[in-house]
Amino acid sequence: MTQIKKFFPYLIAVLAAFLILGIALWVLKFNPLKAYQTLLFTSFRTPNGFIQTLLKWIPLTLVALAFTVPLSSGKFNIGAEGQMLVGAIGAAAVGILGRDLPPALLLPLVILAGMLAGAFWGLIAAWLLYQFNINEILSTVLLNFISFALIDFVATGPWRDPAAGHPTTVPIGEGGFLPMLVKNPPLHSGLIIAIVVAVAIYFFTSKTSAGYELVVTGANPRASKVHGIDIRKMFLFSMVIGAAAAGLAGAIEVSGVHHRLIEGLHSNFPTLGLIIGLMARGKNQVVPFVAFFIAILEVGGSAMQRTIMVPVQIVLIMEALILIFILLADIIKRRQK
Amino acid sequence: MTGLEATITGFLKLTFLSMVPFVLASQGTMLGGRTGVFNVAQEGIMLVGASVGFLVSYMTGSNLLGAVVAMAVGGLFGLLLAYFTTTLKMDQFVVGLALFFIGMGLSSLLPKLAIGITLTPPVIPTLPDVAVPLLNKIPFIGPILFNQNILVYISVLASIGLWYILFHTNMGLRLRSVGENPKAADALGINVVRNRYLTSIVGGMFIGLAGAYLPMVYTGTFTDLMTKGRGWIAIALTFFGGWSPIPILLGSLFFAAIEVLAFRFQVGGSFIPYQFLIMLPYIATIVVMIFSFGKARPPAFLGQNYDRERRTL
Repeated sequence: MTQIKKFFPYLIAVLAAFLILGIALWVLKFNPLKAYQTLLFTSFRTPNGFIQTLLKWIPLTLVALAFTVPLSSGKFNIGAEGQMLVGAIGAAAVGILGRDLPPALLLPLVILAGMLAGAFWGLIAAWLLYQFNINEILSTVLLNFISFALIDFVATGPWRDPAAGHPTTVPIGEGGFLPMLVKNPPLHSGLIIAIVVAVAIYFFTSKTSAGYELVVTGANPRASKVHGIDIRKMFLFSMVIGAAAAGLAGAIEVSGVHHRLIEGLHSNFPTLGLIIGLMARGKNQVVPFVAFFIAILEVGGSAMQRTIMVPVQIVLIMEALILIFILLADIIKRRQK
Repeated sequence: MTGLEATITGFLKLTFLSMVPFVLASQGTMLGGRTGVFNVAQEGIMLVGASVGFLVSYMTGSNLLGAVVAMAVGGLFGLLLAYFTTTLKMDQFVVGLALFFIGMGLSSLLPKLAIGITLTPPVIPTLPDVAVPLLNKIPFIGPILFNQNILVYISVLASIGLWYILFHTNMGLRLRSVGENPKAADALGINVVRNRYLTSIVGGMFIGLAGAYLPMVYTGTFTDLMTKGRGWIAIALTFFGGWSPIPILLGSLFFAAIEVLAFRFQVGGSFIPYQFLIMLPYIATIVVMIFSFGKARPPAFLGQNYDRERRTL
């Protein structure tokens, strides 16, 4: 009962956002009921819809964790975009250079390279914070823009696939492909990796002493410092872990979905990752569920654009509205206490 | 005029022209920050400003009206930020990010609803150069400084105006005190809430205008995500400028020079791959932050909400 009571204000928040946007859709002469039907049920109508949703859930969960893990220590990592892209570059580089290696060797190397490359990209921002006290919001965003140029450089460089119109590299070795869980429509085993990572992060932050130090740092940096926690190290550590998760997302996109590096493979995942992380209000264990909800909206949103011509940008606005209403629900809850 | 002189004149003229969005957005950020409202929605507000400014100009044929509406929308975002943070006491970063998403979504949605998808992109006339009589006849400096579009002059004059208001008027002193110590300011009878609303709204107007500048001067049309991180760079420049109008103006000028230089090399061709030239402004920002962070102190209450009923600050 208390669980329901706790959840209830957020449900109202979501409904309020739907209501407001429904009115907007109606004013714009779209049929809101039909729009919402498409938005919410496309994921469950066909096996393909469900698998598309899972395929979006994988990177969404990982990039959202890239935001919430540093947030556990009180730091805002806005750089999941860059970390994901650099992770994808690392994974693709290893996959192309080692294309003749057997799967038992190449696959772990590709995944590991993605994580390490992402972690490295996060480490730059973390180090700037540690060494020079540079605001991490700024450094991570600037690194995003640097990574866009970097991926363009790699995808149009010597590895470029001349047959592709869009900046794309040649495929990685087949040994680096993630095995498929379902052949048709394709669902790769990155799903399992993402689940394992989400569970591991939950255990780490809520059941281990190192994870506890991390969370305490975020809750009260001053008290943590007084009690002998090196909070600046905690900032560094949490940023790198988060960045590794984003890098992993990039590696999975390369190894599971595209089998090559494609400019723009990050799609809008990193932005949604921020929204998911904020909707989950920084709670690592809530992230996978919110990510699933957002994945449903994303799959439904593109279906909505295809079938009844509602511009897909509506979905981003709806997600931002839901976020604001969820935050408002928090305020109301606090006032009632 | 020799070839070299023409090159230098052209380069400097373009630098002053490119400085404007940075100046406007950074001054807007600075203004809000001076009372403690730390806006991180610049990128979204600039995008909305660009989108709305373009659409209104396109539909009415008046760039002035477009700019005014862009400012009004920017001010509306500033108002929302102030309401959620100052009145409802929500976290400033979180609200800022949410407004950024809304701005980003609206900016690409509005042109699709208003114009739809066309084969050739709809265009508006870009702002013409306005020569300042007499001054534009000064050799070398004249063509660079006094033959620019109107917003170049406005951005410089606004920076000087902000400097004067903040550091040489009573109102400026009150504004700054709210950002440094709201409790003390409150005790002195300064209206903390009103000052925060005021600076957040006016700051948002500056940022909206900064966005409208892009289609009105650079491209003549709106393209998705056309701000390319300028909003985020503006925050960095605000820190770099020590939350002070004149250093912000100079910092923006320096940054614009790097941007123009990178662009020139890109077009002119060079031994460095062009992607690394694209990176240059962002790397420069990071380097600049290394040297400026920790030196100039931001307002003490930057990013923190003020609760009158709380005992401790």
